[in-house]
Order: sequence, then C-alpha cells, then structure tokens
Amino acid sequence: MLGMPWSPNGWSATSGLRRGGHAPPAPPSIMADLIAVCTVLLSGLGMTLKLLAYALAVGFVFGLPIGVLHVFGAWPIRLALRGFDLVMRGFPAIVLLFLCYFGLGGIGGIHLTSLQAAVLALGLRSAAYQGELVRGAIEMVDQGQLLAARSVGLSTFGALRSIILPQALRFCLPGLANEYSIVLKDTSLAFTVGVVEMMSRAKFLAISSHQMTLVYLSVAGVYWALTQVGLASFFAAERGTRIPGLGSTQRSPRC
Amino acid sequence: MLNGELFLRLLDGWAMTVRLVAVSAPVGLLVGLAVGAARVYGPLPIRWIAALFQSILRGVPLVVQLFILYYLLPRAGLLLSPFVAATVGFSLCSGAYHSEYVRGALLSIDQGQMEAARSLGMTRLEAIVYVVLPQATRKAVPGCGNELVYLIKYSSLAYLVTLVDLTGAGRIQANASFRFFEVFVVVGCLYLMMVAVARLGLAWLQRRWRRSSGTFTEA
Repeated sequence: MLGMPWSPNGWSATSGLRRGGHAPPAPPSIMADLIAVCTVLLSGLGMTLKLLAYALAVGFVFGLPIGVLHVFGAWPIRLALRGFDLVMRGFPAIVLLFLCYFGLGGIGGIHLTSLQAAVLALGLRSAAYQGELVRGAIEMVDQGQLLAARSVGLSTFGALRSIILPQALRFCLPGLANEYSIVLKDTSLAFTVGVVEMMSRAKFLAISSHQMTLVYLSVAGVYWALTQVGLASFFAAERGTRIPGLGSTQRSPRC
Repeated sequence: MLNGELFLRLLDGWAMTVRLVAVSAPVGLLVGLAVGAARVYGPLPIRWIAALFQSILRGVPLVVQLFILYYLLPRAGLLLSPFVAATVGFSLCSGAYHSEYVRGALLSIDQGQMEAARSLGMTRLEAIVYVVLPQATRKAVPGCGNELVYLIKYSSLAYLVTLVDLTGAGRIQANASFRFFEVFVVVGCLYLMMVAVARLGLAWLQRRWRRSSGTFTEA
C-alpha cells in the first residue's frame, strides 16, 4: 500500500467512496467520486505512458533495421527475421509477457523486473510489426530511385539514408498511428505481470472501493481519450511532413 | 520435459480457445457487416451511432471491455457466464474492426451497381444484401482475415475473466510444474498453429474467389 497516492481517510471524508460501517453515507456526489477515481487512475497514467513510450521506442529502434534487412538483407538474415516475425506476430501479447516475465528466469536465470519484461515483450512485438510497416513502405518507393541514386555515385547505404528512407518513413506514418493505438491498448495487459499502470490501479480501485462502475467507465474513457489524442497527433505529423506531389503516384505495396 | 498429463490439460484449454474463436469469429463478422453497412448506407443518426460504436470499441482496450461485460453488467442485473462475456466481448470488438474494412470495401464498389439494382426493382435493402455486400465481402477478405488472426491471439484475454482457455490452462500448468518457459512456448506454438491454419484457409478462400470471378480481384 506504500506509495499509493491516496489515504483511506481522505476517501471517506471527501468523496464517500468508502461507505462502510455504521457511518451515515455521505451525500452522493458523482462529481467528487469521479474526481477521486480519476486522481487514482491518473497516478497510473505515468507508468502507462512510460511503458508505451519505451515499447514504441524499442519497436522503432529494432523495427527500422528489421524492415530494411527484410528488403536488402542476405537470405540467412531474411530467414532469421521470418522466424522472429513468426513468433512475435503469432504469439498472443499476453503469452509473450508471461514468457518474458516468468519464462526467462527459468532458462537463463535472467530475472527482469515487471517493467523490463513488459517493455521487452511489447517492444519486440512492436518491432516485428513496425519492421513489416517499414518493409512495406520501402517497397512503395520506386526501385528506380535506388538505381538512380547508385548511378550518381551514392552507396547503397547512402541512397537508403538520404533517398529511400525519408520517403518510406512518411509512408509509414499511417501504419505507425495504428501501431500506437495497438501498443497503447496492449499496455493494459502489463498488469498481468505486475506492472502498476493504469489498468492495475483501476482493478485495485474497483475492488477496494464501491465504485466499480465509475472506475471501469472512467478507465475506458481515459484510454479512449489517449487513443484519440495520439491518432490526431499522428495525423497532424502526417500533414506536417507531407511533401507536395509525393505520394500522388504512390502505388500499393504489393505491386 | 513436459509430461503427457500436462499436455492433455493444455489441449483441454486449447479446445476452449477453439470454441471461443469458432463462436466469436462468425458473430463478429456479422456485426462488422451490419455496422459497416450502417456506416455507409444508414440514415444520419444511425451513421453517427455506428461511428461512435466503432470509435469506442476500437479506442478502449479489450481487457477493459471484458471487465465491463463480466464485472459491471451483473450490477445492472445482467449476469453473463465467463464464456458468454468473452464471446460477446470478442464479437463486438472484432466486429468494430471488421466494420472498418467492410466500410472501405463498400465505398469501393461502384455506385452504379446500386443504381442498376434499384432500377431492376430491388429495394435498397435487397440491393445492399444481394448485390453490394457479396462483392464488398470479397474485397474485405484480406483486412478481415488479419482481424481473424488478431481475434485468435486476443482470445487469450478470456483467461482474464476466469475462463480456462489455452492461456489459462498454460498459466495453471506452469504454476504447478514450475516449467514456465516450456509451457508458454508450447502454448504460443499452439496459437501459432491456429494462426497458420487460419492464414492457409484465408489464402485458399481468396484464391477461390479470385478464380470464380475475375472482376473481384484487386486492381
């Protein structure tokens, strides 16, 4: 209980969240209850956002090279990546969380904290999905551009860095927005390995207070708001980085 | 390694997961078709409601939805068993995702087809059900197929509403045997197998539909 941002006394005095014993119930005030519930939920929001940021960052840092290697790597590398993809995109998130938190200790004696395990599981999972996005985006850029860049003297890496990726990453943005919303919602599974984030606070509060309805509806509202804000930001980023003319000739990734 | 008894328990859980998916996948698809059609063809208030439904179910984590169905609805006098709560949650959530693909597919069908159907004397509903939806369904297969794969994987959340599905059985067996890594790898591989089978089935469906009518292939 240590470090919880509310005191039991504070509850009964201000909000009537604890209506127990023989004390007359405080006059019901939905606003006071709502504020009290949201205070607790928001105290878990920091951890949710931290987990989200770490997982997306790990996913991007690994996903970008994975996507590039999917296209340009030698075949053993591509084969290995296929295996990685298969596991990361075929196992449910919750199983990956359990594997990282409970499983790693059993084989290598690697003991991760809940947060580390959650970041590892959600991050690598996101890396597989983001790698797939980057691969698709690279394939959307006309291959002639790589030839042209090579013919004016750029190395393959140079062409990739200055010609292909700047375009490909722009094509990635809608997919990344999607990935943001998926990872955000998957952070709510981290409570199963003991990360004290928003869902975990909500679950605890729902049991300890008599306000289960309010708690679960509020937590749904907060996640919904986070999704909308994030999607709007990605949309703004998409508009902000748009290059006039680019994308008008864009083709589907499969052609 | 894992003994036979433990493996049998996992298979019991696996059967539950298969049942969950077998019920939620078709129901979810129907929900998706209905909501997608409502978003495109419904009158304005219905369109708003459908958009709200999509936004909420796609913006709120599935765990929260399941908790609301399983823990909150009893307070409103509606007691759902874990299985029913899970299937309802999965169907609605995957329906919301399906509906977005269905909507895209419906919008991609030439408006002239609707006019042609109407001019042959079909009602609007008939035209939607018999002319537009069958074509749109085929176009939506790649997206909806992805959604099916997601559904298989997210069915693991049924464990959080106390259902002993594959993940739940894995958790119990891992706790009992202390073989966490092995058990969860086996559990993951069983999910992987289901995903692989679903992907094969979808690829077959796409090939079949592409062959049966040349006009429905992707441009």
